Amino acid sequence: MGFFLKVLFSLVLGFVAPIASADSGDIQILDPWVQAAPPNVKVLAAYLEIKNNGEKPQILVNVSSPAFDQVGIHRSVMHGNMAHMEHLKELTIPAHASVALKPGGLHFMLMDAKKPLPVGDSVPMTLTFKNGDKVAVTATVRSGQMENMGDNQHMDHSEHMNHNH
Amino acid sequence: MKKQNLLLAKKSLALLLVIALSITAFIGWKLSHDPVVKAPAEIEDYLFWQARELTDFKLIGGNNKTLGLNDLKGKWSFIFFGYVHCPDVCPLTMGILGQAFKLIEKDPAAYQDIQGVFISVDPKRDTPELVNEYASYFSSKFTGVTGDVAQLDAISRQMSALYTIHPKEAQDSGDNYLVTHNSTVFLVDPQGRLYGRFPPPQLPQEIAEVFMKIRTFHNERSNKRWDFF
Repeated sequence: MGFFLKVLFSLVLGFVAPIASADSGDIQILDPWVQAAPPNVKVLAAYLEIKNNGEKPQILVNVSSPAFDQVGIHRSVMHGNMAHMEHLKELTIPAHASVALKPGGLHFMLMDAKKPLPVGDSVPMTLTFKNGDKVAVTATVRSGQMENMGDNQHMDHSEHMNHNH
Repeated sequence: MKKQNLLLAKKSLALLLVIALSITAFIGWKLSHDPVVKAPAEIEDYLFWQARELTDFKLIGGNNKTLGLNDLKGKWSFIFFGYVHCPDVCPLTMGILGQAFKLIEKDPAAYQDIQGVFISVDPKRDTPELVNEYASYFSSKFTGVTGDVAQLDAISRQMSALYTIHPKEAQDSGDNYLVTHNSTVFLVDPQGRLYGRFPPPQLPQEIAEVFMKIRTFHNERSNKRWDFF
């Protein structure tokens, strides 16, 4: 029994460990987190930084999580004082560059939570890139209110210039 | 006899005229020596040129409690229009307001004076119960309310807080649609007048500091009025 457990454990570890590092080839994921919300709220947002250490641009085409029915790549855009969200089909991370998803801008929209996610819970997510690479990420649920104390949540107006449809 | 009466009437009229003229002169002098209280430069941009009287409205919160103009009177109200299925901008702004309230709490008298009102413009998905639960999550000072389109428009139009619901823009059918909303935080004074606004992007320190100055200015101005009369 002990032997069996050990084998099972090492098998699981062997399978999980490379993914848990959240690095796959050229892609590196930094500080993944989910904005905490009251238990009845079914739609949440996840934030992280995607770093591309490679020579080629990487294109994120899909995000999924077993904790949610659907995940979308979204961007909050301000037109004057009006806030709205737009859905992105893909997100390009240029070579040797990083793209930060943070409150008030790019985020993963997590739709239809299967259960409440209190502060401290983990949310597994899989990021799929156009070249077929998959990166597993574990985001932690936390209250983003401390983040707001800095000025990094100031919306990046330069980015919005590209979005006058 | 009649002539005497006429004389008396003329005399009284002249006296009245003199009194009226002196009052006018006094007010004129007072005004020229007591210029209109001007808002300090650092809060000017946050204030409406003229405080706007609001007309009554009726919204519904948790336990079917109604919220109307009378519930705004006596407090400074921070009002934000959003919706619960808004995972990014709404928690961001509500978090910033919650943080600002904590900073205001350092002055207990000011803290006593404030309340937050979160108005969901998405009544199809947001029940009054859910909205209230959502709002109070960010601060105990918050009340969450919503209403039908007519009820929502009765308040949002007074603040020019436009919103649009886009079922077609949504990627998926059913309940996953997007809402465009004004992410300004509106400030209503204890007389129930639209007094100021904090346009996005906001910062907790900014809101707290500006609010404290607005409150001081508002109090000074009302005191001055009392002095005058």
